[in-house]
Amino acid sequence: MKRLLLLLPLLALPSCDSPGKAAAAEPALQSPPAPPAVPVTAPLELTRSVVRINSTRQTWNDNQPWEKNPPNQRRALGPVVGPNLVLTTGELVGDATYLEFETTDGTRLTPAKVIAVDFEANLALLGPADDAAGAKFFEGMKPFEMDGSPKIGDPLDILQVEDNGVPLLTVGALQGVDVVSNFLEGQYFLTFQVKASMQSAASSFSLPVLSKGKLAGLLASYNSKDQLSDVIATELVKRFLESAKTGHYAGFPGLGLETTRTEDPSLRQWLKLTEDQGGIYVSGVRKGGSAQLAGVKKGDVVLAVDDHPIDRRGYYAHPVYGNLFWSHLIRGEKNVGDTITLKLLRDGQPLSLDVKLVRQEEIDNLVPAYTFGNAPRYLVKGGLIFQELTKPLLESFGDEWQSRAPLNLLDAFENPEKYEGKMEHVVFLSGVIPTPATVGYERLRNLIVRKVDGQDVRDMKSLVDAFKQPTNGLHSIEFHDESLVVYLDDRVSEAVDRKLIQRGIGKLSRTE
Amino acid sequence: MKLWLPLFALILPIAQAQESPSAPSDIYKSVVRIEVANQTSDYATPWNSGRFGGGIGTGFLIGKNKFLTNAHVVSNAERVLVTIHGSPEKYPAKVEFIAHDCDLALLSVEDFHDFEKLPVFDFGNVPALESQVRVIGYPIGGERLSVTRGVVSRIDFSTYSHSRADSHLIVQIDAAINPGNSGGPVVQDGKVVGVAFQGLRQADNTGYIIPTPIVRRFLKDIEDGRYDNYAELGVTEFPLHNPAMRKAFNLPNDGRGVLVTDVTPTGSADGILKPGDILLAIDGNAVDSAGMITLEGENVNMQEIVERKFAGDKVSLRFIRAGKTEETEAVLKPLPPSRMYAIQYEKKPRYIVFAGLVFQPLDTNLFATAKFEDINVRRLYADYVPKGIFQKRPDVVILTRIESDPLTTMMDGVQGLAVDKINGVEVRDLKHAYELLHPSTPPGFFVIELFGADRPVVVPANQIEAANKRVQLNYDIDQLSNLEE
Repeated sequence: MKRLLLLLPLLALPSCDSPGKAAAAEPALQSPPAPPAVPVTAPLELTRSVVRINSTRQTWNDNQPWEKNPPNQRRALGPVVGPNLVLTTGELVGDATYLEFETTDGTRLTPAKVIAVDFEANLALLGPADDAAGAKFFEGMKPFEMDGSPKIGDPLDILQVEDNGVPLLTVGALQGVDVVSNFLEGQYFLTFQVKASMQSAASSFSLPVLSKGKLAGLLASYNSKDQLSDVIATELVKRFLESAKTGHYAGFPGLGLETTRTEDPSLRQWLKLTEDQGGIYVSGVRKGGSAQLAGVKKGDVVLAVDDHPIDRRGYYAHPVYGNLFWSHLIRGEKNVGDTITLKLLRDGQPLSLDVKLVRQEEIDNLVPAYTFGNAPRYLVKGGLIFQELTKPLLESFGDEWQSRAPLNLLDAFENPEKYEGKMEHVVFLSGVIPTPATVGYERLRNLIVRKVDGQDVRDMKSLVDAFKQPTNGLHSIEFHDESLVVYLDDRVSEAVDRKLIQRGIGKLSRTE
Repeated sequence: MKLWLPLFALILPIAQAQESPSAPSDIYKSVVRIEVANQTSDYATPWNSGRFGGGIGTGFLIGKNKFLTNAHVVSNAERVLVTIHGSPEKYPAKVEFIAHDCDLALLSVEDFHDFEKLPVFDFGNVPALESQVRVIGYPIGGERLSVTRGVVSRIDFSTYSHSRADSHLIVQIDAAINPGNSGGPVVQDGKVVGVAFQGLRQADNTGYIIPTPIVRRFLKDIEDGRYDNYAELGVTEFPLHNPAMRKAFNLPNDGRGVLVTDVTPTGSADGILKPGDILLAIDGNAVDSAGMITLEGENVNMQEIVERKFAGDKVSLRFIRAGKTEETEAVLKPLPPSRMYAIQYEKKPRYIVFAGLVFQPLDTNLFATAKFEDINVRRLYADYVPKGIFQKRPDVVILTRIESDPLTTMMDGVQGLAVDKINGVEVRDLKHAYELLHPSTPPGFFVIELFGADRPVVVPANQIEAANKRVQLNYDIDQLSNLEE
C-alpha cells in the first residue's frame, strides 16, 4: 500500500502548536482573504448543533521520558452527533491532558472525556466528563442528523463559528473522493476533497461539513494554496459512530499487506498475468495480520477482493465514487471479524483464500508508528537510560530523521523481521546520565539491548525484571550487533538511583 | 571540513623570532612548481571519459631525481610538468610512487641534468610547539615563489582529508596554507620538518603539515620499489575506566589495560585477539585504560606503534584472556577492504549496463556521487568492514541507474538499492553479477532481487539484445561493461 500522498501540506490547523492559552485563540486557518460572497452567514440555530472543544495537550520528552514537555493548546469545532456526544478528529485529542467543551457563545463550559478514538481514521467521539454537568451543558442542543452519501459535484457547506459566536457557512463542492491519509502517514481512508475558499475565523482543528443541513463529514485539514480541504467521508464517520456509540469501539480492520503495482510488462509476463487481468503484487506480509494468518505470501498477486477485480495500479470500481484504491474494500467497508475472499495468483496458478479480518493494534508492533495515549516506557538504572523504540522517537532526530537517526534503530523500524520473534519491542540504551556508576560510559547511546544479567530482553518489563538478579554484585548488559558488554555495580547504581529520585526524577521506570 | 588545496607552502624553521631568515636563496631553486593535467572519473555515468582538469602544486628536491609532493597534487595525473624557480622551462615529470593514505608522492623528471647542481633538502624532526617554521611554495595569488612564516600551534593525530578515511600525526601551524602550497616544504633551521598539505575551510591562518615521521615512513616503504599502504591492527578498543567493568574482569583499579571490543575479520589481529580480551601492552609499552601508551615522553594512542611499522613487521601483544595473561606476536598487514571508506584515485569505475539497468560496486566515490538514502545500502556500507561483509560480498553491487527504454519504462523506484540475488544466486561481486547476467544458456527471465525493493526486477532474456542496442545508441555508451579498475 505504498502510495503517494497528494497535496495536503495541511496548512489548516494542525502542527503549529500555540504555546499558551492567549496565543491559542489566534486563528490557525491562515487562508488568504476569501473571495467575496463565498462565505455566508449561517442560520444562528446551527450553533445549537456544534460545540467548541478546547484541548490541552502535552507530549513526552523524548530524551527524558520521565517528564512531559510544556503544554500547548488547540481548539476545534465539533458537531453534536447524539445525546451529549461530540465528534472531532483524533489528532485533537492525541496526548490530551485536559479536554473541555465550550458553547460557541462562550457562556457554558464543561470538562470532556474521550469515549472512543481512532488515530488511524483520525476520528474521536467525546462526551462530558461528568454526566450531570454534561446534561446541563447540552441542554437545548440539537444533534446533527447524518446525511446519505454525497456524490461528486454535490455542494457541501463548511461550518465555522467566528470568535463573536456568529456562524459562517462556506459553500464548496465535492471535487473528488480518494483513499488517502489525512493525519498519520500510511493510514489510508476514504476522504472527500472539497474545493472551497475559506476565510480565517476562530482557530479550529476540526470543522463540521454539511450537506443540506445534515452532517456529511469532518474537515481535517485545509490547504489554502489550492483551497482544497480534506474531509473525512460520510461513510467513515457513520461507521465510526456506530461502533463508538456502543462504548466498545472495535476499530477498522486491516489486511496487513504491503503491495505494489504490476504495470511493468516484464514483471507481468514473469508473474503470468494476462492482459485482461489487473492485479497487485504482494511485497510484504505483516506478521500476525489478517493476510498472514490466512496464508497470503510475499510474491502473491491479488487479483480481486470478493467480487471486485483490482486493476494493475490497485484501484477498483466503486459504484458511486469511481476508481478507489483497493484498501477501501477492507478498511472502509468491512468490520473486524468479517471474512473476505481474496483471489490470488501464486506461481501462475489461481488461488482463493478466505481471510478473517482482524485488527492489529499499532502499539503491539515491534516499533509502533504512533503512541498517542501511551506514555513512553523507560528505565533509568544507575544513570543508564533505556527506552522502547517508537517511530516518534526516531522522528525526534529532526526533519531529516530518515538520514540522521542511528542506522541500527532505523533498520529495526524498516526491517522489523530482523528482530521479530526475538523480542516484542526494541529496548535500547538511549543515553547516559553521568553518575559514579556510569564512569567511562558517557558516550554510549542508541545500542539495542539483547540481554541483561544473562536474560533475554524482550520489552521494557523484561528489562526491569532482568535487573533484579546481579551476579557478584554486578549487572551485565549485552547488545545486538556489538560485542561490548557493559557492567553496572548494583550497590553503586542503587545509591545513584536514590540520588536521581532526590534530584527530581519522579519514577525510575515505566513499564506500562 | 578541511580543505585541501593543490598548492604548496613552505615554512622556514626559525627557532627564535629574532633569528634572521637567512635561508640561502639557492634553496628556493630546489622548490619546484608542479603543473598537473588530470582526468577525474565520473561515477555517475561510468562509461563517460570523466572530467579533464588541472592544478598547480609545489614539490621539492630530496635526492637524485626525487621530488616529494602531496599525493593530491598529482592524483589522476595525465601530464606532470615541473618548473624551477625563476626559469621558464617546463620539465616533463612522472609519478614514481603515490601514497593516498598519507597524501605523499614521489616524482622524477625525464631529464635530471638541469637539476644536478641544485641543493637537496634534508629532513629534521617534529618541530616543537611554539617554534617558528617557514612555508615555501607557489600558492594562488601570483606566479612566483611565496614564503610565509608560522608558529607550530598543535601536534595532533588527525584526519588526512585526501582519502577521507585515514588519520595520522599532523602538525598545525598558524600560517595559512593556500591552494598551490600543497606539497611544499616546511622548513626550520634549514631542514624540512614537514610537507604543507591542507588547510581549514572555516578558519583563516591555519595550516596543516605532514610531519617527518610520516614522510620518512613513506620513503622507507617505497625502498623495495612498491608502496604497501599502512598496516592496520584491526582492533577496536573500549576504555576500561568503569570500576564495575574492571571488577567484572578481575582487574585492579590501576588504570591499566583496555578492552578489545571488535577484531576485524582477516585483519592483523584476527585469530590472535578476541572481543573481551584485555590488552595490557603493545611491543612492551604498557597500554592504559584509555588505550594510550607513552612513547618518547608523549601520551599517544596505542595504534601509533602500528603507524610506525610496515606490512610484514611484527608487533607483540600482551593481553588477559579468561583471567590468564598471554603474550603473542601479530604480523602486521594492510586491510584492503578498508579502502571501501577511502576515496579512490587512478581507478576506472567498474560497471555493467544490462538492458538499460546500470550496476556499479559500492565505494566511497560512488557514495559521494549518488547519495544513497536506502537504509539497507547504508547499513551494508557501514558494516562492510566492521561486520566482515566483505568476506561474503567483496562488492556490494548497486543498481544505480535505469536508463529510459521501452523495456525499463515501468521499472522505476528501485534505483539506488543493493542487489541481493540474481536468479536466486547471491551476488558476490561485480564480476559474479556479470557472469550471472551472461550465462551460457540464458533462462527465460533474469530475476534480480534487491534489498528493500517492493518487487523483483524482471528482464525477459529474449529482449535484452535489442534493449542493449537501443541503450548503447541512445545514451552513447561505447562499452556495456568495465569489470577492471
